[in-house]
Parts: sequence; structure tokens; C-alpha cells
Amino acid sequence: MRVGVLKSLMKMMMFTMLLASGHGAAGKDKSIPPEDLVYCTVCHGVNLMGNALLKAPRLSGMASWNVKYQLQSFRNRWRGVHEYDLAGLEMMPMAMSLTEKQVDDAAAFVASTRSPAPPKTIKGNVVQGKMLYQGCMACHGSEGQGNEALRGSPLAGLNDWYVKQQIENYQNDLRGISADDIYGAQMRAASKVLTDQQDILDVVSYIATLKQVTQ
Amino acid sequence: MRINNLSRRNFLNLVGAAGGPTAIYQTSLAMGVMPETGKPARLDLKRVDGQKKSVLVLGAGISGLTVAYELERAGYKVTVLEASKRIGGRNLTLRHGDEIDELGQKQVCEFDDDPKIYFNAGPARIPGHHRRVLQYCKTLKVPLQIKTNFSRPAYTHDTDHFGGEPVRVSKYVADARGFLSELLYKAVDKNTFDERLSGEEIEKLREFVKNYGDLKADGTYQGTIRGGIKSGGMVKPAELYEPMELQALLDSNFWRSGLASSENPDWGDPLMEITGGMDGIVKAFVSAINSNIVTNAQVQSIRNTTDGVKVEYHHRGKREQLEADWCFNSIPSHFIPAIPNNFADDYIAGLSAIDRGNFFKIGFQMKSRFWEEEGIYGGITNTSQRINQIWYPSTDIHSEKGVVLGAYAFYAQSEFFEKMTPAERLTFAADCGERVHPGYKSQIEAGVSVPWGRMNHMMGCGVRWSDEARAKYWDRLRQPEGRHYMIGDQISYHSSWQEGAFASAEFALMDMDQRERAADAATEAAR
Repeated sequence: MRVGVLKSLMKMMMFTMLLASGHGAAGKDKSIPPEDLVYCTVCHGVNLMGNALLKAPRLSGMASWNVKYQLQSFRNRWRGVHEYDLAGLEMMPMAMSLTEKQVDDAAAFVASTRSPAPPKTIKGNVVQGKMLYQGCMACHGSEGQGNEALRGSPLAGLNDWYVKQQIENYQNDLRGISADDIYGAQMRAASKVLTDQQDILDVVSYIATLKQVTQ
Repeated sequence: MRINNLSRRNFLNLVGAAGGPTAIYQTSLAMGVMPETGKPARLDLKRVDGQKKSVLVLGAGISGLTVAYELERAGYKVTVLEASKRIGGRNLTLRHGDEIDELGQKQVCEFDDDPKIYFNAGPARIPGHHRRVLQYCKTLKVPLQIKTNFSRPAYTHDTDHFGGEPVRVSKYVADARGFLSELLYKAVDKNTFDERLSGEEIEKLREFVKNYGDLKADGTYQGTIRGGIKSGGMVKPAELYEPMELQALLDSNFWRSGLASSENPDWGDPLMEITGGMDGIVKAFVSAINSNIVTNAQVQSIRNTTDGVKVEYHHRGKREQLEADWCFNSIPSHFIPAIPNNFADDYIAGLSAIDRGNFFKIGFQMKSRFWEEEGIYGGITNTSQRINQIWYPSTDIHSEKGVVLGAYAFYAQSEFFEKMTPAERLTFAADCGERVHPGYKSQIEAGVSVPWGRMNHMMGCGVRWSDEARAKYWDRLRQPEGRHYMIGDQISYHSSWQEGAFASAEFALMDMDQRERAADAATEAAR
């Protein structure tokens, strides 16, 4: 009898804990990565919260279609091939080593993770940035939520330093250079609209204000 | 007489080559290395039997194992959490069948199943002044043997100099000394030293340099037996090598790198290694430690509480939590900001200011010990190629096979290899070796590459502290954050050396012990 009471008490506690760690409860993610995907957390951090020291971006809650698309981009050698893209080169063998099933598993795992919104590390003019962002909306969404049909990555929830790095990678032809990477080529062309460094800082700091909406 | 058209700059270069050891000594002194290399501090930790004191150790590398070993002996309840499936951290000896857990590029070591065939992929050398490593080896009865590090019969090799041919280290060193001595001999009576030296002193100095460079009676350098014997010397008279051209010597690069390396205290012969593989110390710790060492336990959060430290971790598909009075953390500093914690901002800023390093090594199992046929028994060949070095084993002389270090690269050089697949790395290093030892490639039976910057749960080796970071954060990181201590070679002036890990653990243990004693004293006073 006593055991039974204890058990139901524990169940109740578990339920309360689950509620507390429910969707959007930043920093309370208690999920456990599948064993063969622990690798992701080595660089991208606990709950994939991102690690600037390893140039590994925050991935928590990223839409699964985009996780798959980005992994596929590495596997297609669209990303992580240029000799100056050191962080991309670090990632590339990891993406190559995955099986198709692991790509699917990774997408599901990444989408399920939660972590606090990334810290803001770049100071730009948010008002200017908002104006510049008008040009990004068509593909990346009015709230940075992304656009699957156009392979426009969700930007809300990414680290500001990572967004800046990727814009620069496109501008410097480290990314979007493969003939069959159609969307990458579009982004490479689009990145060149940002003509000076201040534009990049402005738009990146505006993107950092967009709130990530997870499914 | 081969000294022609010697420019002042080249002369200074040459002096620099000879001045290396002094410069290195002074650098070491400035770094605070020398005064600490005397007797190791004897840990006299207060016993806490029956007080239910507990400790969490994060990371089962050398520093973590040291803490576990010492504190369980002082009566603490110790738990070690290790993220990987292996105990030892970067102390890694590879043998037949071992896995090399590189991110995305796992390899299996295909060496022969033979206890003599192994490769120290992490630490591989112990100098005599690393008193702590040696003390633990002695205490734990870990057998040591001499490891030849600097070998005069080994080569210096430069694709751009000496016709791309390897030159024996002995010859290079002898010629460098000879030229330098001859210059000094000639300069002595050119009024250069008049103000400083008496006639008698000048004569003595001349005698000194004659011996230093093995000059002829007239003070000229015409080659020396120290440079090696070209032929004969037993039943026929010895024929010596002609001195090389001074200009060629100055143009080459060995004097910049390898020449004085053996005069650095860390690389000064005789060095030692652990018999049977460097992981002998890890195995000895593991059998001496009774505490629980939990592998596959990846830390998820670290939080100081009012009177302890709480750590969450994943283990066997479950989320676990432990609390302890103290926490000693050897997790690489570059991972900490991506582990939820409640550390102060400046503590995290300090950990973020340490530059993650990367070292790279290749080991080749060789079909035969061909280097012994060239009169080389241990030591290192330096080459201008990207592999930097070739190491020859100094044990198991004349046995059938041997393991050679086929590449040792650091930082940016390491990145070059990291970008390759394991197979590409081995092919590249084999080609480099071929230029030093014709036939090298055909001797290779198996190879392993270990890029520490890509190893699972490591992602780095040999952290670098900028002067700025050192000035701003060193004291902060050496001191605890609450009841949490960062440890490991990363928190030392000797990163990528085991002695740095031991010293860091020792420092943290003594600090904690003082706090325990102070708390006791306070309790006593309150009574």
C-alpha cells in the first residue's frame, strides 16, 4: 500500500517536472540524445545550445527539414569544402559519416531540443537592420522563421556571430559556389547586397531580436 | 677555410643558434618553470574519515585521476564522471584493435597483436625535472625506461637545403660549433675584447674555443670526428667528412628549430618513458583507485549550491544527478560555456579566453627496423616537411618490427592534416618519410593518425594562453569558483604535459585542503 502511494506520488512529481520542462521552457530541456548522436553535443553543447569557442552554432529547436537540408548540403559538398572555412571543414566528416537513418534521427533530435535564446554578442543598429532585413524576408520569413519551399533557413534562434560568419562566407565565396547548389548560389548573390561591414552588423543584430518559434 | 663573405646578420644568426640554450633557460625562468622543478610538494591532506565528505571529479584524465587517488586516501567519497568510454584522457597508447574516436572518422588500430607494438598518441616523454609524474610512477610502481630524444646519428632534413638530402645531426652540430669557434678565435686578437680581457684570458678563451669547435692548432676549422666518420676508423684510418659550406648551414633552418631542442629542460636527454606504453600510469591509477569511475557519463550541468556542487549527467540513457561537497573539473575549458552552469561571468570569460590548441600525430608500424641499419637507435629526425619529425624507438633494439612516429604537427600545421581523411594523412606522411629514408613507404604495414583537435570529447590539445589572458584571468581560474575547481594541464604553465596536469591537481587539492582546515578551525572556535 505504502509502496503504491509512493509510486503514484513519484508519477505526479514526474508529471510536474515534465510540465516544467515542456516546450519553450528554456534551459529545462531534460531530453537525452540517442547514443550515436551524442557526437553532436560535443561541439554544439548541452541541448545543442551552441558553443562560440568551437564555432559550433546553436541548433536547439531548429526545424527538422532544415537540419536535414544542412546535413545534406555538407554531404553534397556544398558546405565545408573551402580551405578557409575551418569550422565547416571540421563539421564535414561528421556529416559524411552519418547514415540516411542517422540524418533523419539527427533532424528529429535537433528539432526536439530546447535551450535559452542565444546571448547577443554583436552590436548594430537594429532599426537600420530591420530595413535591410526587408530584402531577406522573401526567403527567410518575416519573423526569421524560414521558408522550406525556398530552402530559406530559419534565422531566429541562431547565434548572431554565426549568422554574421555565414553572410561573410557567402560574400567571400566560401559557400554557395557549387554548380548544383542552386539556393546557395542565390544566397551568395544576395549576400553581396550588403556592401559594407556596418550593414552586416545591423542586419545581424536585428535578426538577433527575432523570436524563435519552435514546433 | 670555408668562411667567406659572412654578413653581420648571418653571424648574429649563428650566435643565436649557439645562444639557444641560454635564451631558452631564461625564457623558462621567466615562465616560472624552473623554481618549481625541485622537490614536489608533499600532499599532506587532512583526513576526513567518518565526516561523509564527498567529491565529484569531472574527467578521468591525469589530473582527475590524481584528485580521485589522493582524496579517497584522505577519506573522501569520490565519484569520477568521464564523458568518453575510455579512461586516461589524452594519455592514449594505441595497440592492436584500439579505436581512435575521431569525430566522423573513426579508425581502428591495425597494428600487430604484439605487446611491443604500440604508439603513444598523447604524452610520450618524461623529463627528469617533471618530479610529480616521476613521483607517482615511483609510488604506483610504474616501470620506466630511458627514451632517447636527441640523437646525433639521426638526421636533419630540408627539402630546400643540402640538396634535399638528410644530413646527420652530428655533422651539422659539429660544423656549426666549428665555424662559430673559428670566428671567435680570429676575433679575439682584433682588439674586439681588449677592454674586457687580459692577454692571459685571451689565450684561455682561444683554448676554450679550440676545444669547443675542435679547431686545428692554427685556429681553423677543418672538420672533426665529432661530425661522424665517413669511412674507416677501425682497421683503416678514419676518413672524416669535409665541412659543409658555412653559407649553406646558415641558410638551412635546423638551427632555428631542432638544434637546441635537447637543451630545453623538457626535451633534454635522458628522457624517460613508461615501459610498455605511457598508459601504464593510467592503468596503475585505475587499479589503485577504489572509487567509482563512471565512463560514458556526459555532464549536462554544473551548479554551485550553498554548501556544495550539483552536477547533472547522462548515463546509459538516463539523466542522473549527484551532489558533493567539492567538484574538480578537468573538462576542456572550451566546452564549459556550452554546459549550463551558474558560474560568475568573469570566470566564464576567463575560460573562454584560453585558446584551444591542436596537436597531431601519426604512428607507423614498420616491417623492419631499417633505421637501425643506418646506425640510428632512437631519437628524432627533423625535417622541413609538414610532418616535422620522425621518431625512432629506443627500445626493443634489433627486434623484428617497430613503431615509428611519422608526423608530429602543432596548431596551424595540425589543421593541415585535420582537413584530410585518415587514409590521405597516412599517404602524405609516407611520401614525406620516403624523402628522408628511401624505401620508407614499402616498410609501412599499418598506420594511425590522431588529430587531438577532432577527438571525441576533447576537440583540442595544448591550450594556449595569450599574455593578455594570462594577465587578466590566470589567477581567477586557478582560484576556485565556489566549491568548484578547474584543473588539468589547461590550468598550468605546462599545457600538453602530464606534469602540468599533476601540478594543477596538486595546487587545487592543497587549496581545498586549506579551506577544509580553516572550516574546522572556525567550527572549533565557535564551540
